[in-house]
Amino acid sequence: MSETNPNPAPEPAKVPAAAAPVAAPAAAPKPAVKPDMSRGDFLWAGWGMLAAFFAAAGAAGARFMFPNVIYEPSQKFNAGAASTYDLGVSTKWLNEQRVWIVRTPSGFYAMWARCTHLGCTPNWWGDQNRFKCPCHGSNYTLDGDVIAGPAPMPLWRTKVTLAPTGDLIVDKAILENKPGKRENAPYFADYASA
Amino acid sequence: MPLPPLDIEKIKKEVIDSQLWRSVFRGGVWKDTPRDRAGHIIGNVWLHLHPVKVRPRALKWAYTWGMGGISFALYLLLTLTGVALMFYYRPTIGLAYQDIKDLEFAVTLGMFLRNAHRWAAQAMVVAVIAHMVRVFLTGAYKKPREFNWGIGVLLLTLTLFLSFTGYLLPWDQLAIWAVTVGTNMAGATPVLGNEGPLGSLVGMRINNDVRFTLLGGTMVGENTLLRFYVMHCVAVPLVVGILLILHFWRIRKDSFSAAPYEANEEKVDVWPHLVKREYIGAAGTTLFIMIWSILQNAPLEAIANPNVTTNPSKAPWYFVGLQELLVYFDPWIAGVVMPGLIIVGLIAIPYIDTNPKGIGSYAWKERPFANTLFMLGVVMWFALIYIGYALRGPNYAWYWPWESWFMVKPAPPPTWSVFGPKPDGAYSMLLGIPLMGAITAAWMLLPKLIQKELDGKKTMGAFLGLVALVGAGGMAMGKMGATEVAFLLFFLGASFYYGFVLPQRHIRTLDWPRYSVTMVLVISTMSVLLKMCARLTFNIKYVLTIPSISMNF
Repeated sequence: MSETNPNPAPEPAKVPAAAAPVAAPAAAPKPAVKPDMSRGDFLWAGWGMLAAFFAAAGAAGARFMFPNVIYEPSQKFNAGAASTYDLGVSTKWLNEQRVWIVRTPSGFYAMWARCTHLGCTPNWWGDQNRFKCPCHGSNYTLDGDVIAGPAPMPLWRTKVTLAPTGDLIVDKAILENKPGKRENAPYFADYASA
Repeated sequence: MPLPPLDIEKIKKEVIDSQLWRSVFRGGVWKDTPRDRAGHIIGNVWLHLHPVKVRPRALKWAYTWGMGGISFALYLLLTLTGVALMFYYRPTIGLAYQDIKDLEFAVTLGMFLRNAHRWAAQAMVVAVIAHMVRVFLTGAYKKPREFNWGIGVLLLTLTLFLSFTGYLLPWDQLAIWAVTVGTNMAGATPVLGNEGPLGSLVGMRINNDVRFTLLGGTMVGENTLLRFYVMHCVAVPLVVGILLILHFWRIRKDSFSAAPYEANEEKVDVWPHLVKREYIGAAGTTLFIMIWSILQNAPLEAIANPNVTTNPSKAPWYFVGLQELLVYFDPWIAGVVMPGLIIVGLIAIPYIDTNPKGIGSYAWKERPFANTLFMLGVVMWFALIYIGYALRGPNYAWYWPWESWFMVKPAPPPTWSVFGPKPDGAYSMLLGIPLMGAITAAWMLLPKLIQKELDGKKTMGAFLGLVALVGAGGMAMGKMGATEVAFLLFFLGASFYYGFVLPQRHIRTLDWPRYSVTMVLVISTMSVLLKMCARLTFNIKYVLTIPSISMNF
């Protein structure tokens, strides 16, 4: 019957059926509609959302701790006329810029005065030809290579260039400490001795 | 007109019976009955964390040392003095140091309060450590108190962290360099730090790693000072407070003492017996800190200079042991893995130590292994502190106590590494990694695999004989002096005794999981001795170095 009649039952026909519950109270079979979600699944979804909320809140809190703007001094400075430096290590800029300017017979390199171990400032001991760190006793050669103590790698050399004015421009944001690379531009400024 | 005679008793009765008095202090007339005593504890919000009665042993100073209570008294003192100091302190680079100077010279009682805060902090470190040692030696962490021991370990860690965050605030040279070093250690954390192993592989840079969050920048600066101020004054004390409540609650729930009940043991009233002792302890502690603060001023170095470090630069005494450890191991090992292992290892102890004996009494003989190894750790920690504090001079070179710091020490000899790719290592990694793996595996397994208990004296004798033989050979070949041989005998002998003979004797019957965890902790402890020996005797920097991934051991 239903196969031949595509139309659904007319609306008014339903009304008396629904309006007469007294006829068949609980005996009516439950509709065989499977719920989209079981009670257990619903609960799990709820807990899952709560967990997701806490995870997101945690992640947001962690992200909050990373500042987007930081106000720190520029890493670039003018170290003055190259001609004013003598051969060897100059500690002229240590207190202000944390950099040693080293003049060799053929030019200049600049080293960031930050121990590669845990970031203290080593001191230059000219009589022993070493940089020595006061915090854990690391020792470096004039080239910045580690010869004693716990430091894991050589001191960083910074970018150093000779400006047309004859001034040395040091940029501590650009660093290199690998032998073979650190001896070349921009980590070395050619300046033949007069 | 003559005054009526003063009837004190009548006035007292009228005051006490007044509505005002009764609204504040409840209860009838105090007759010191057990009911009154119980009521005093139950009816008082501050006292009611106590039970009404405790076992008499909880009152014995010789048993408890009073160290838990004294730690708490110091925590309260630190809160009071700390809040007072906050009224005159502004956490910015331009003002912080000046404010400390003002506290010292321009604020009434400012110097005294700052001294009290500093000395109470140091006393609290000592008290908390002493409390931990006491709890360990009396086996008081055992079931069912495992969890509370863990809380206690966290509280010890937070006590140290509070000290660490506190000493940046004066913005002097100690402040900036201690925090520079401390946060650079965080920067050496594996994976999460830009200088740590694997860090750069997962994209860690100087401006996105864990160090960056601690500092709030790429260097110790304005943000760092503010962050440490907030952590020191608000965030960490809050966490400590929550953990303290948990700690005290658990102590009460676990009825104070774990010792088996004695025959006819009767509990005593907390009021007045325990509360009285707590007040005496707190009063004594306060008096002690006051006298100390009058006699000695808290140190303050020159104003912070982010470019130049003082020579030598040393951490506060309780971190000097860590500083000394950093001489021998890479920062990610000494600064991250080892402290982490110590904390996790301490928390794990109650779950590893299944020995049912020695609870609630000092019974060394009933738990020789646990006590010996724990105290060895404590002694080693303080030995490292002594070396760092007393035996290190300018350039962090080794100065004996009788040597003047004005004496110029010869430059330390060059160091070398045993295994690693050329030219970093003297011998190939292909030899080193299997050899080290084999030694570690043998050390891990042998104490348990040898079923029969070895004769301690004979085993030690044989081992020391072997070391002496090697030493004699080295001396004959001119490669070692008497000092080197003595160092070898001491360090290798100690490592062998504590790391092999004792575990073989005492813990070979443990189940594999507990045995393995214990041996990992034991071997890690011994590795400190062995690495110190390698450095001090043979100038060995790394036993194994793999520079390409920043892995050095």
